[in-house]
Amino acid sequence: MLEARLEQAMLLKKVVDAIKDLVQDCNFDCNDSGIALQAMDNSHVALVSMMFKADAFSPYRCDRNIALGVNLVSLTKVLRAAQNDDVLTLKAEDAPDSLNLLLESIEADRISEYDLKLMDIDQEHLGIPETEYAATIQMPSAEFKRICTDLMAMSESVTIEANKDGIKFAANGDIGNGSVTLRSHSNVDKPAQNVDIELTEPVTLTFSLKYLVNFCKAQPLSERVRISLSSEVPLLVEYLLSNDKNSGHLRFYLAPKIGDEE
Amino acid sequence: MASKRCQQPHTDSTGRHGEDDALQSRQWQRRSKVIGGDSPGALQQIPIYAAYDRYEPPKIFILPRKATNEARVVSLPNPRYNKPTRYLVCPETGIYEFTRITAPKSTPRSWLIDINANDGTGAEDKEKPDPQKSDGDDREFGAYVTKGAELYLATSIDPVFLLLPALVSEETARGEGGKKMFVESDDYFDQLSKASPHFSEILRWGSIRQLLESRMATVCDTVDAGGELMYRFSKEKFLTEMLSKAKRMSENSLPPSMEEKFVANALEAPVLGLKREDTTTTDSSASTPKAESTESTENTTSHTSGASTATTLVVDEEATAAASDLKASMQASPEVTKLQRLRVAFSFICSSYTPPPQVSQLKQQLLEQKKLVDFSPLDDYLAQVAKLRQEAASSRSMGDYSRKHVLDEEELMDRAEKKRKMEDDEKRKKAGESRGVKNLKKVNTSGMKKMSDFFKKKT
Repeated sequence: MLEARLEQAMLLKKVVDAIKDLVQDCNFDCNDSGIALQAMDNSHVALVSMMFKADAFSPYRCDRNIALGVNLVSLTKVLRAAQNDDVLTLKAEDAPDSLNLLLESIEADRISEYDLKLMDIDQEHLGIPETEYAATIQMPSAEFKRICTDLMAMSESVTIEANKDGIKFAANGDIGNGSVTLRSHSNVDKPAQNVDIELTEPVTLTFSLKYLVNFCKAQPLSERVRISLSSEVPLLVEYLLSNDKNSGHLRFYLAPKIGDEE
Repeated sequence: MASKRCQQPHTDSTGRHGEDDALQSRQWQRRSKVIGGDSPGALQQIPIYAAYDRYEPPKIFILPRKATNEARVVSLPNPRYNKPTRYLVCPETGIYEFTRITAPKSTPRSWLIDINANDGTGAEDKEKPDPQKSDGDDREFGAYVTKGAELYLATSIDPVFLLLPALVSEETARGEGGKKMFVESDDYFDQLSKASPHFSEILRWGSIRQLLESRMATVCDTVDAGGELMYRFSKEKFLTEMLSKAKRMSENSLPPSMEEKFVANALEAPVLGLKREDTTTTDSSASTPKAESTESTENTTSHTSGASTATTLVVDEEATAAASDLKASMQASPEVTKLQRLRVAFSFICSSYTPPPQVSQLKQQLLEQKKLVDFSPLDDYLAQVAKLRQEAASSRSMGDYSRKHVLDEEELMDRAEKKRKMEDDEKRKKAGESRGVKNLKKVNTSGMKKMSDFFKKKT
């Protein structure tokens, strides 16, 4: 059986909020190392991969591998009941029909309990190899979100160009064109505002902005975001769960647009 | 004597118990008592017996009044099934078979048997108590309720049938060249005794031996060899005998259940209108068969049901007379009906009392010997009916659009149901879809490769 106590119920809520607009139903695969999720959007051009490490929970217990088939909209409805300081405990049998969610508010001495019906979902897992990317940008997650939403106004797609001068996000649309260029810089007072660019070779790729904006819904999870690019491979957008490397991560992959792009 | 009572189809023929309980008739304590003997009415006239012993639940018997008190239940091989079967043998009046009448499973019944209430009534006087086990048993026994509501009915059986296995046997009377020889009756009896130890016993009783020999003579060619009669089975004589039995059985009408199922239905021609009617049933309903006066005691319920169908049939008849255009396309003539009855009776006797090999032989003979009975009018008629039925069936399948329409409607309903289900599913799926997911569907993904092009499936 599974029993996982998460000090911050909001953490799971944020993760689910970030995924639910990309994926409808997916399996939460629970094993002794933690809770993992891998799913693709309907068009199979984007992939989300989540890892909630066992360390993120206290305590965490999972005797055998369990797949929790969840409709994310339904899960969102339940998690909407979670308040900021609630502690969440997930419980499930070995072959579960439902997932038990227990929300405890220490402050208010309140316990809310939900049972969420599960479903059988056939899912294939893709093996994602470790990749050396041509360019890796670490930047404030809010900044990335802002760039994406701003450029959305101009066009449906954005061309990301990484070279020694910096990173240029450019959008070409019917009403005109626009671009945002970031240069590597460090803020001593606020390291969270740093923009770190690692470049092994210049790369230029075009992506669907709608998808990128969607990825940015994970922004509340973490102050920082890491964007990795290489030509001919999907873009990786990674958020760490709660600024703590041991908790886990939420990664989005997006296939680049190739060919007849302006 | 030889007149055969027709068994109602739902009754099982005789208590075929099969075990070889040697001369159990003696230990069986056939203690006969009249039940309800002092009540007025028909029941008083029928000797009803409860046979019982200390260990087994009592069984209810109706025995023929002419059977004497010397009659015993013995185990003899059944001619049809070649299994030991119980028969009632009376030294004076002959051999009786048992017909077991059971209540249908849907309406369970039981017997309430009160022995003591009837002590000293008519049957008690006739009864010859077993000296070893006297009244003590009766008092101990008292009243009894048995859940097996079976009624055993003893009716005469022609001993010829019992002799049949020996007469047609390959072992006896096999001479040189495989030709049947004339043989003494004792040889036949010996063979039967081998199969059933009771047989040699009953041979010594009263007039049983004479009875058996006289019956044997009716189906055998005989030769007088020095004051000693020798017998040889004659197929022709047997056929004649069987046919005369069948004729007697079918003389008036068969029992109602048989009449309806095997005669009326078989001869029924299709009506090319709404109502199906068969005029042949008229004679069956008009004539209350004489044979049934005895049968009514056997199975009252079936008789009444027969009577009720008879009335409804008459009513139907009038209805069809009024609507003259609704007539059966063919009517069976009385002659044809009679032949069909004869055929049914014949095959009934064959299938109840005759060993299977003899049955096929008999039927073959019957076909060949047209001078005995000529079934050709019946066969012609049946062929015509079959043709008409086929035509009616094909015309219905082609022309009956209303029926097809009903099917279509059902199909449509099914389809609508399926569609609604699918829509429901779709709706539910949509409900589980977030706005973001919906919006992403509108995104132009041309020029974007699928994830599976980049990442290999995990194995």
